[in-house]
Amino acid sequence: MKRRRFLQLSAVGGTIATIGLSPTPSRANSTTTETNFELTIAPANAEMIDGTMVYTLQYFHGFDNPSPEMRVREGKQITVTVTNNDSQPHGFIIRGVAGSYIHTMQPGQTGTTTFTAPNGGTYLYLDHYKGQLNRLMGLHGAFIVEPEGDGKTPAGSETPYSVADHNPQLQALFDAFGNHPRFPGDRWRAGDLRREKLWIFSQVDPTLNERVAAGELVDPASIPDNFLPRYFTINGLSGFDTANHHLEDGNAAHDGRAGRIMPSGKQGEPCLLRCINAGLATHACHIHGNHCFELARSDYKFRTEISSNIYEHDTWELLPLQRAELLLPFERPPDIPLDRWPPVEEPFPLRYVMHCHFELSQTAGGGNYPQGAVTHWQMTDPL
Amino acid sequence: MFDWEDTAFGEEITYSTFGCDVFKADPQTPDRLEPDVHIYREGAEKLDRIAPDGRRIRFWTFRDTDPAAPNQRVTHPAPEIRVTQGQIVHTHLTTSTGPHTIHHHGIEPTTANDGVGHVSFEVGDGYTYQWQPARAGSFFYHCHRNTALHFELGMWGPLIVEAPDQGDGKKRLYEDGPTYDSEMTWVAHAVDPRWHLIQDHDAGLCGLDVGLNRYEPKYFMLSGVWGNRAHYDPTTLIKAQVGERVLIRLLNASYTILRVKFTCPIEIVAADGHSWGRETWCPTTRRVPANTVLELVTAQRYDIIVEPTKTGHFPVFMQFRHWITNKVHDNGKGQLKAKVRVT
Ligand SMILES: [Cu+2]
Ligand SMILES: [Cu+2]
Repeated sequence: MKRRRFLQLSAVGGTIATIGLSPTPSRANSTTTETNFELTIAPANAEMIDGTMVYTLQYFHGFDNPSPEMRVREGKQITVTVTNNDSQPHGFIIRGVAGSYIHTMQPGQTGTTTFTAPNGGTYLYLDHYKGQLNRLMGLHGAFIVEPEGDGKTPAGSETPYSVADHNPQLQALFDAFGNHPRFPGDRWRAGDLRREKLWIFSQVDPTLNERVAAGELVDPASIPDNFLPRYFTINGLSGFDTANHHLEDGNAAHDGRAGRIMPSGKQGEPCLLRCINAGLATHACHIHGNHCFELARSDYKFRTEISSNIYEHDTWELLPLQRAELLLPFERPPDIPLDRWPPVEEPFPLRYVMHCHFELSQTAGGGNYPQGAVTHWQMTDPL
Repeated sequence: MFDWEDTAFGEEITYSTFGCDVFKADPQTPDRLEPDVHIYREGAEKLDRIAPDGRRIRFWTFRDTDPAAPNQRVTHPAPEIRVTQGQIVHTHLTTSTGPHTIHHHGIEPTTANDGVGHVSFEVGDGYTYQWQPARAGSFFYHCHRNTALHFELGMWGPLIVEAPDQGDGKKRLYEDGPTYDSEMTWVAHAVDPRWHLIQDHDAGLCGLDVGLNRYEPKYFMLSGVWGNRAHYDPTTLIKAQVGERVLIRLLNASYTILRVKFTCPIEIVAADGHSWGRETWCPTTRRVPANTVLELVTAQRYDIIVEPTKTGHFPVFMQFRHWITNKVHDNGKGQLKAKVRVT
């Protein structure tokens, strides 16, 4: 079987950019928060995992950063400016964030909004104009809020949540890392991209994209009954592309777009999973190797609910537009025989997949298992 | 040196080893220990069953090939695996038709013993998976090759890890956990007959569009019982007495959003094989009043205690909903009724 061609990031027909697997420059692992975001809306051709080109719409940050992750600090004044370079009207809103709404922008127009960054958490920004249509075309991304003071518990453990939202159960869990017989090793670390990954799930039905590309005015109400996705993505990538392979040294694991998806670390280095479903299909996120702690999830009004009874799941539901945050403990995979830990004949890293268990989502173009909504995490070393 | 030829440990992972040319090998079990218990499974065995409307449906399954209990018949779903917490378990997989794997879902062993081909290997002729369950609870096992197809066609079965005996004659879901007098495993699953006409184990793997992104089930089943019989078939009917404690191990093994409504009060005591109400971060179980709707996506499990306080028939309604439209499948017919009969 032929590997799909790699395309360079290049302008097509003068206006349409192509999103391929152009190497994203590696970056430092510490997070950076900003207060001012300037985005443009433009069409872009995206290459699916099997080589199929699909017309999409993207929010760009600069020329070559589609669907940028916006990261801010709780309580700061945030300004978002959006310029619509598409031929259709578009909007902007961050679900669950007051004041983030930008009214519909006609082609060529610019809109702006200023608001106060809410409490720590993971949010979804999208184009709400014409319901779900433009979100499915690609106009969506993550808005991440870091809590003030790294959300420290009274015992000093950093958390991804503002202190005002804490409860004793959440604090007990974050305090347990590094302090509990089950969790030897390190605590969770705020502000470190090696300790938090982002998984925005979405789906692509190319027939819908073709209709939009042809200039058809699609009635959003007609979409769900006809939506038959052929590609299933995490942060716009599928299958093989969602993980970094052939790693020579540990740090490269976190580089690029795949590095934003694939958790990698040693035993005892817990990692936060920020999960968002930007698509129309419900997902059943299933992880191997460790169960995950479900910390928070958004409700039907897009409010974040921090759990006061934190369950351990190997499979969790993610409804359309829903966000959920889980903690992957990076504990010794518990069902490896105790007398054979750490394994000797079997090499590190131990690799464990995460995939949606609605297995339809593991396909690409009607087959090609497992080139869909799958990635894996790796434990590089025992304690 | 351990021989990792033709596995993801010994070879380069590429686009084509991910799916189309996935690693196929029969290595020795690494870091092998003497087992406490042996489980034998062979797959894929084929089994034709006649649906209530007379249609013949071909299922794929695993057969129990335990040499100490020869000539076991082929069943669908695959036979239960039942072991005890702390045992060293060896699951011996042999393949009769092409490569397969066993993934013990919710069990967390090493990568080589996890049964996912693209990060380890698929099994050519035979392999022994080694694991030592650390927790008692409700799990399942399934083939993880071309999973979309192999799982739907029936290559799965329940996997129960029992708690060690605490010497007081009581059965417990897990150590120091809730007691029960009897138990029932309810697995909801569905059949899209179009999928069951596919005979090629590798359908779609190398790029062919075989429509595995489209799922339109027409038959809805509970633990291998056709939906229309689920409320009285002895396999799925729960018979209890007032004051008795029944443990229900509930799993959604369908590619649908499963809604379940008990018409009696229940208590959820665990999910995905992990207990509730025992840790400071998870201090309580969940008592659910009668007629509350639970929702389970594919592979989610709940362990439920029912303790009837009065006699009667308590139906349990299950609905299979579409993962995109959220409509009940098969134009509203995607439903079944199970039952708790209290005497
Ligand atoms: Cu899996
Ligand atoms: Cu599974």
